[in-house]
Amino acid sequence: MGDPGAFTFSRLIRRNLANRLYRNIATIFVFALIAATFFSAQFLLNGAEQSLDKGMSRMGADILVLPEENAMAGQNILLTGQPTSFFFADSGFERISNIPGVAEASPEIFIATLFASCCAAPVQMIAIDPENDFTVSPWLAENAGVKLGQDDIIIGSNIIQNVGKDLMFYGHNFHVVGILDPTGMGVDNSVFTRIEDAYVMAAESDTKAVRKLTIPEGKVSAVLVRVEPGVSPSTVATRVEEEIPGTETILPDGLLSAVKGQMVAMTTLLYGSALAVTIIAIPLIGVVSAMVAHERRREVALLRALGATRRFVIRVMLAESFVLAIIGSLMGIGAAAGFLIIYQDYITYTLQVPLIIPSALTLLAGGAISLFLAFGIAGVSSLYPAYLIIHSEPFDIIRKGGV
Amino acid sequence: MIEATNLTRIFSNGHSEVRAVDKVHLEVNRGEFSMILGRSGSGKSTLLGMLAGLIRPTSGTVRIKGTDISSLSDDLISELRAREIGFVFQFSGLLPTITVIDNLMLPALFYPGKTDVRKRALGLLDRVGLSDRADAYPGTLSSGEMKRVAIARALSNSPSLLIADEPTGDLDVDTEFEIMELFRQLNGEGMTIVMVTHNPDLMRYATRIYGMEQGRLAEGFHSVHTGHGPMEPLH
Repeated sequence: MGDPGAFTFSRLIRRNLANRLYRNIATIFVFALIAATFFSAQFLLNGAEQSLDKGMSRMGADILVLPEENAMAGQNILLTGQPTSFFFADSGFERISNIPGVAEASPEIFIATLFASCCAAPVQMIAIDPENDFTVSPWLAENAGVKLGQDDIIIGSNIIQNVGKDLMFYGHNFHVVGILDPTGMGVDNSVFTRIEDAYVMAAESDTKAVRKLTIPEGKVSAVLVRVEPGVSPSTVATRVEEEIPGTETILPDGLLSAVKGQMVAMTTLLYGSALAVTIIAIPLIGVVSAMVAHERRREVALLRALGATRRFVIRVMLAESFVLAIIGSLMGIGAAAGFLIIYQDYITYTLQVPLIIPSALTLLAGGAISLFLAFGIAGVSSLYPAYLIIHSEPFDIIRKGGV
Repeated sequence: MIEATNLTRIFSNGHSEVRAVDKVHLEVNRGEFSMILGRSGSGKSTLLGMLAGLIRPTSGTVRIKGTDISSLSDDLISELRAREIGFVFQFSGLLPTITVIDNLMLPALFYPGKTDVRKRALGLLDRVGLSDRADAYPGTLSSGEMKRVAIARALSNSPSLLIADEPTGDLDVDTEFEIMELFRQLNGEGMTIVMVTHNPDLMRYATRIYGMEQGRLAEGFHSVHTGHGPMEPLH
């Protein structure tokens, strides 16, 4: 139990910090900048990785087989849902199913819609075969009671419509029966329907839509493949490419590498900025701390004369520095998190990378690392002021001027 | 109470050496009011700093209550200072960013285990006649009030020794009288005081007088209280 009303260490720190408000605000800003850049870099990297994990898990496939000339477009559909339509030159679907190591194969048709009431831009329609699909079927299994029937659609989380309402594409009315969980990938900007409904929509488009949609009979845009247990997906992918010329396969690992490649420039920029800010911040905060220590040498000498140990004075310096680091870091992390969450879609669109808000644990870890870094900088930049204190001759300082 | 033996402090600036305090022997007994008189630069403040353990002597020893402080670590000297020594400086020595009452409670931070800190601080403020200024900031006080607060703070940890370095140096005659009367009262209550000053007019308050010149100390003046001989100015 402390002495009520007694002057405490924390009160001393609070008063000292309040006394140098403007300079401390500048120091807080530097800490905020460091924490924000590091936190942003981690947020984006983890957000992209977790998005890919979730997106690939949603896709449910080990291999995605695409027409060679449309591989990039197919990848973009997966990553960002950038709408496009393409088809295999011939139907390789049956042959893929027969390749050794393939357990299941599911065809998909990619259709770029026209503008729709739900969305500011065309969206990606993906027509599936519910009989052997493994993209939407697992979600349907988890959501008992929901069926993808005639003219039904399941929409991605970014498509603005409620379950039970209708959406019109190419003049055809679809009924929303489900909304998928967000993944940060192209799935969020896609709508899923049955292949036979897509054919009906295409047939009607000539009279109902402003532009006719053509889906070549018997042609598909992509084939999703699941390999047999114990079989390497890359081995099967190689077989697919060898046996069916004109195809290109995409594996989750390859997609992850591609995304990381896309993010290299961004992460280099972010980590580079954070490093540059840190390199500048250490001497900057050090100089500010040294200036403060120089200004406060009489105060320090007075404390020493009153019985403060050198360790106590250094503890005061470090505590003040750490408090500024905590305040700055929390502000920086908060601002960065707010900005990244609010502008998540814009970032995804601009950088063309999948992005999801990382898990709470990842966010906490990212925040902790940023905070730890700010603490490190605060500690390092307090070394010189601490040196000044240790080597000061307090009595001489007090005599030469008033406190 | 304090015993300094062969105390020497040499300051060096790389080119030359200054012997600020030169082989000083000093003994201050419990309850004494010792006053060290000397001109500026005579070494009296350096001597005071060494007596309080704030300046390390080049050679010689200082014993406070029998403990050789030159052999103590920084932590132990600081603890001793917090427990046994109250300081009053020429300048107020008050932290301008905290209130008067907080200034009084500040030394308790370095003396863990102290209880009733606030109560004692308020009592001391009352003692120096400033109980109504507890929540004021030092900048709003007159120089005399600041000095009285500084004396109250010096007493806050109930020290056995009060060290004062030119405590009336920047005060007018009336305030100087007020402060010196306070010192006289404290000494009358048994407080041991060591004070340095350049003002010979203050000698009448002391029970023991020393003169200091060019780093050397000599006992050569007697207080009017003792009635031993006339006061002579230092030369």
